Amino acid sequence: MKRTNKHLGIKLWSILSGSILIFLVLYMNIYIFSKGKEGLSIDFLMDMPKGFPLGTDGGIFPAIIGSIYFTSIACFFAGMIAIATAIYLNFYCTNKRIYGGIHMVIQSTAGIPSIVLGLFGYTFLVVHLNFGISLLSGGMVLGIMIFPFIEVKVEKAFQEISKELIYASYALGISKAYTFFKIILPICFGEIISAIALAGGFAMGAVAPIIFTGGVLYAPEPKGIFSPAMALPYHLYILIGEGISIENAYKTAAVLLVLLLVLNSFSIFIGLFRKVE
Amino acid sequence: MHKKFEKIFSNSIKGITFFSVMILICIIIFLIKESVVIFDEISLLDFIFGDKWNPVRNPPNISIFPMILGTLYVSFVAMTIALPIGVGAAIFLTSVVNEKMRKMIKPSIDLLAGIPSVIYGLIGLLVLVKFFEIHFDFSSGESVLVGGILLAIMVLPYIISTCDESMIKIAKRYKMASDGLGISKWHMIRYLILPASKKSILAGIILALARAMGETMAVMMVIGNSPIFPKLLGKTQTIPALIALEMGGAQVDSLHYHALFAAGLVLMGILFVVNMLFYYIKKNIDY
Repeated sequence: MKRTNKHLGIKLWSILSGSILIFLVLYMNIYIFSKGKEGLSIDFLMDMPKGFPLGTDGGIFPAIIGSIYFTSIACFFAGMIAIATAIYLNFYCTNKRIYGGIHMVIQSTAGIPSIVLGLFGYTFLVVHLNFGISLLSGGMVLGIMIFPFIEVKVEKAFQEISKELIYASYALGISKAYTFFKIILPICFGEIISAIALAGGFAMGAVAPIIFTGGVLYAPEPKGIFSPAMALPYHLYILIGEGISIENAYKTAAVLLVLLLVLNSFSIFIGLFRKVE
Repeated sequence: MHKKFEKIFSNSIKGITFFSVMILICIIIFLIKESVVIFDEISLLDFIFGDKWNPVRNPPNISIFPMILGTLYVSFVAMTIALPIGVGAAIFLTSVVNEKMRKMIKPSIDLLAGIPSVIYGLIGLLVLVKFFEIHFDFSSGESVLVGGILLAIMVLPYIISTCDESMIKIAKRYKMASDGLGISKWHMIRYLILPASKKSILAGIILALARAMGETMAVMMVIGNSPIFPKLLGKTQTIPALIALEMGGAQVDSLHYHALFAAGLVLMGILFVVNMLFYYIKKNIDY
């Protein structure tokens, strides 16, 4: 009897904290979905923003398309340089100092707040390189933001492959490139895709990097990578920040969450698949 | 044929890696280059420790001390709230629930981490701020406290996943020994797992602190944004919010613009120290 009393405090503490955690997770999602599903219709998804001030009426079609473009550009850009960097660090780099140096740079980048990246993107990409406020500038800044995340995950995946397999391949005189495409890539493919999908989720929800570099209040669906675009989270921010339409803000938030869930389900699905194996 | 392919592949890999590292180094150099211009006008000390921000006035007042304090204050409040809940929840996950429940709850924590910051801002503004205005009779619910609560929810996943990881390892390592000695589960948690995971808890807090200080949108939406010295129940402004709000109105190459860059640089400096601390502690964790 005494023993149970003795640890009552810590028991209560942990159970209380656990319940708070579960409550928060459920509350956040249920709140957004229950508020957002009222009045959510195909028209809202497929229509242009209308009304005055803009956004009080109509839909969010250009914002959905814009968000998808931003995310794809970011994923493509970040995926390419992150995978290349991971390959280099794991299979080509032999100098310890270069290895350490590149890691140091990547870790420092991971620590840069997204708004500062936006600041950099605005001055360097938009003004100096003259890309303008465009899908390309916004996508690149988002790409730089998620680059460290993908790089670390991909490198971890490479390191988990047994070294014997790789050395055996080298010992047979097979080139590194061939080894990579025939042995390493098939093993890691799922993990690479899931890392990119997760990072894409971060990119899709981010506002700070695109405020100055790619997102605008209103634009039709973008025609090319040099045209500006709307983005769901930015549109959402404007709707609430300017107090335009709370009702539409809830709906936009619900749509954004659904898109993110779809993106994240990729990685969950791949994770499940791997466990079955 | 293979030789040629290998050559193309290795050269393009090296090229792209070089390119990406160049971009990253370029960001850092570029930020420093754009910021140092301001220090011709005002000394670093005045910039950091002055007390007024009004860059478009003539003569301009440029100092970001209120924002630095605001950033630190909000993050501090967030840590104070998130720490006990985070550690408690980590114990909950490792010890209270069984393996099956754990597998179900863990992804939901990732879910919490995956919610974009604007949506946190939305809930903060429409639920928390309203709540404080109605129930506590504040003139305005937008305050450091609300910002802190919101940030605490946002960083909770980082604290939990850092702590939980090492707690599981420790529990696995000593389970046999402590079962053999007939020690109860809670005694083991209190006297073995908690003290042993001290470093991981610290690492979790520091990681969360870095997240909290760099956070822009959610905080900006609930904190009121006035550049004054922060009080717990009063409005304030953080450095990221300052940049996000004023960059659109600052002319390129004006004093205001360079001042904002310098503010970003100061923030990055603080975060750099925090991150280095994190890596240092993480390296010393032996579990």
